[in-house]
Amino acid sequence: MTATLAPSPAPAPSAGRTVRDWVATAVRRGAAVWVIVAVLIVVLSVMRGGAFWSTGNIAALLTSAVVLGLVALGQHTVILSGGIDLSVGSMVTITTLLTAVLIDGYPIRTFPVILGMLALGALLGTINGLLVTKLNMPPFIVTLGMLYLVSGAALWISSTPAGQVTSALTEFAFGKLGPIPLSFVVLALAIAIIWFLLNRTVWGKQVFAVGGDLHSARAAGISTNRVLIWVYVTSGLLAAVAGILLAARSSIGSPTAGDGLELSAITVVVIGGTSLLGGRGTLLGTMGGVALLSLITNSITLLQFPSTITDLIRGVIIIAAVAVFVAKRRR
Amino acid sequence: MAPTIALGAREVTKSFPGVRALENVTFACAPGRVHALLGENGAGKSTLIKILTGDQAPDSGAVIVGDEEMSFGSPRDALAVGVTPVYQELTVLPEMSVLDNVMLGHESARRGVLRLREQREHARRALERVTLGGLDLNTIAGDLSLANQQLVEIARALVSKSNVLILDEPSAVLSGDKLEALHTVVRSIVAEGTAVVYITHLLDEVRDLADDVTILRDGRFVSTGPASEYPMERIVREMVGRQVDSVFPDPADRRDEVVLSVEGVVPRGADCVPVSLELRAGEIVGLAGLVGSGRSRLLKTLAGVRQRGDGRVSVGGRPLRASLGATIGAGVVLVPEERKRDGLVLELPVGQNTTLTALGSISTAGWISGAREAAAYAEERDRLGIRSSSGAQLAKQLSGGNQQKIVIAKWLRVGPRVLLLDEPTRGVDVGAKSEIYRIITELAAQGMAILVASSELPEVIGLSHRVLVFRDGAVVGEVARDPESSEKIMHLALGTES
Repeated sequence: MTATLAPSPAPAPSAGRTVRDWVATAVRRGAAVWVIVAVLIVVLSVMRGGAFWSTGNIAALLTSAVVLGLVALGQHTVILSGGIDLSVGSMVTITTLLTAVLIDGYPIRTFPVILGMLALGALLGTINGLLVTKLNMPPFIVTLGMLYLVSGAALWISSTPAGQVTSALTEFAFGKLGPIPLSFVVLALAIAIIWFLLNRTVWGKQVFAVGGDLHSARAAGISTNRVLIWVYVTSGLLAAVAGILLAARSSIGSPTAGDGLELSAITVVVIGGTSLLGGRGTLLGTMGGVALLSLITNSITLLQFPSTITDLIRGVIIIAAVAVFVAKRRR
Repeated sequence: MAPTIALGAREVTKSFPGVRALENVTFACAPGRVHALLGENGAGKSTLIKILTGDQAPDSGAVIVGDEEMSFGSPRDALAVGVTPVYQELTVLPEMSVLDNVMLGHESARRGVLRLREQREHARRALERVTLGGLDLNTIAGDLSLANQQLVEIARALVSKSNVLILDEPSAVLSGDKLEALHTVVRSIVAEGTAVVYITHLLDEVRDLADDVTILRDGRFVSTGPASEYPMERIVREMVGRQVDSVFPDPADRRDEVVLSVEGVVPRGADCVPVSLELRAGEIVGLAGLVGSGRSRLLKTLAGVRQRGDGRVSVGGRPLRASLGATIGAGVVLVPEERKRDGLVLELPVGQNTTLTALGSISTAGWISGAREAAAYAEERDRLGIRSSSGAQLAKQLSGGNQQKIVIAKWLRVGPRVLLLDEPTRGVDVGAKSEIYRIITELAAQGMAILVASSELPEVIGLSHRVLVFRDGAVVGEVARDPESSEKIMHLALGTES
């Protein structure tokens, strides 16, 4: 039963820090991906400096990062806890669509609908969480089912773009605080909140513990179910915020608005050095992943590559980034 | 007004599929005392601890805390009433910092928001008590040595306000100064009125530390009393306790031909004395020793599963390369300890499991012949007495004993000259045990050389021509086949007699 516990000699601390140690530390802290981001920025500055640094392009770049950034924040939290959330894209879709359809141009409905959408995101997250914890189902399956279920519901509500948001909402989406888009401020706020929750609260420590080793966390007296349910609620809420902002920006709702977002979100989390097994990862890394993906899309436009090449480049980047920056798992 | 029982169990029974782990065990630990819980491997200590700490629920009986009966749904419930365990299997989270690990489960916080300075102060104080005062709190726990991880875990237990501290064999990873430091901590918390349940295999620790002793054997309560009434001889006698059953067939005579010769073998990455031994045709040699004493490691090294660090092995006089393929080719095979993980493909039919090692013999140009597979299985079924509905039954559906026979059958298909068995009857019921003993004895009579590692003393003694006793990776003694030798083996394994 415990035969594997044969005392093994402690790993000897290596004398000088090798390059590999540096890379490992950079990956663990989430700094590695920012190196690539910096390189890409330098390249773009050299090749298309004027166009890249124009206020218009910077604003577009920041705006394009908002939806993915919000969804990635939720995905980051879920993956830290040792799970995965495939349903976030469909949650963005349904909240986008419902925001537009329910507001339908009436300013008075704006506020209640936004609240309703947040509640819907939280509800769907709660269902995910309950299924994962109470029925002990694998998160992959639960959220895959939820993905189809919610996408189906969205198509059932409307199979074509529908509804209309108010001009106030559109103005907010395109509004700016100085050079910074207002929607980006929302993302920045969400990052700050999630960072605080994960690093400065008991719940945050519990998320890391549950993702690191469920049994050990339970042995330490953590009520793991409650921790996990809140993880999925967080993810659902953030997806709803992303959906509302997406509706505001596109002014109508589309039944395919969030397609593929779940995979992009997982991509950026992984590129950021977070372990898919849970328990290890930094927000810095995940946000670096968001920056990288947004930059790639942006650079393809700037460098006038055919937009069809985006996915191809994305695939290469994912495999290359993970291959180079794989942080060795302990033990 | 302190309770008389800080932590106890009343008539606790617990069964796992095929095994009765605990039967009517009663236990009581008083406040302010160190209570040593003793027993052989598999005596039920770990199961009792898991029940006392809410990790598992008893089938019947009750846990008692502070004189009141409790029913724990999870470890959380036990922690809430001040029962804090330090498990033998580490629960340190390797990706988290030392600070977070020490404070896990009892963070200092206001409304869920951590109070960082208080956190660091508490953690620092707890770490100082376990001699890790100089440790950087931000160190990632996984970078620490096993001993220090254990101390971090003990520090975690010290932070919470516990009435009872349970230490499950800390001396398995701690030694020297660190073990001394732990003893100092234990004495100081006991002086404050905390009860300590201490599990150990080192009888010196019992003498130095324990106030009371309880002994378990085969999942049953044997005796309890103040430590002063337990001289070493009594402890060993009561831990071993039973007579060797008569279920063991007498082994046939060994032959003179040396089949396996091992010279100065050291498993790679292990820091231990080289092992040398010789095994003759028809000979059964038992390997005894505590968990972690190096028996399994040696068997895995001989089988080529684990790499050899040093030394030479030869089979029938020909040197053997240290690779799995070469080892099997030379006819040295291992029936592993973890049957379900390493021995079987649980989701495959038993027929396919049986022929997995010798697919060449049942196939032509890569095409497997179903008829030949069935014939091979039928042959082994009759030889070993495997009971399954058919060759198509899935391995996972068989009982432990029949699964073990399949693993043995699988290796017999390659025509081995040396059979290595690691805990061959673990999780096997009594009836199937004696059948496996018969199989082992018959195979030896046919000329196979056999090494058997087992934690069950009667088994190693009853089966073998002679028994080698392991401690800290080295052979510390050899004992002849004699039912009376079990106490001698226990003394050798524990290091209580030179």
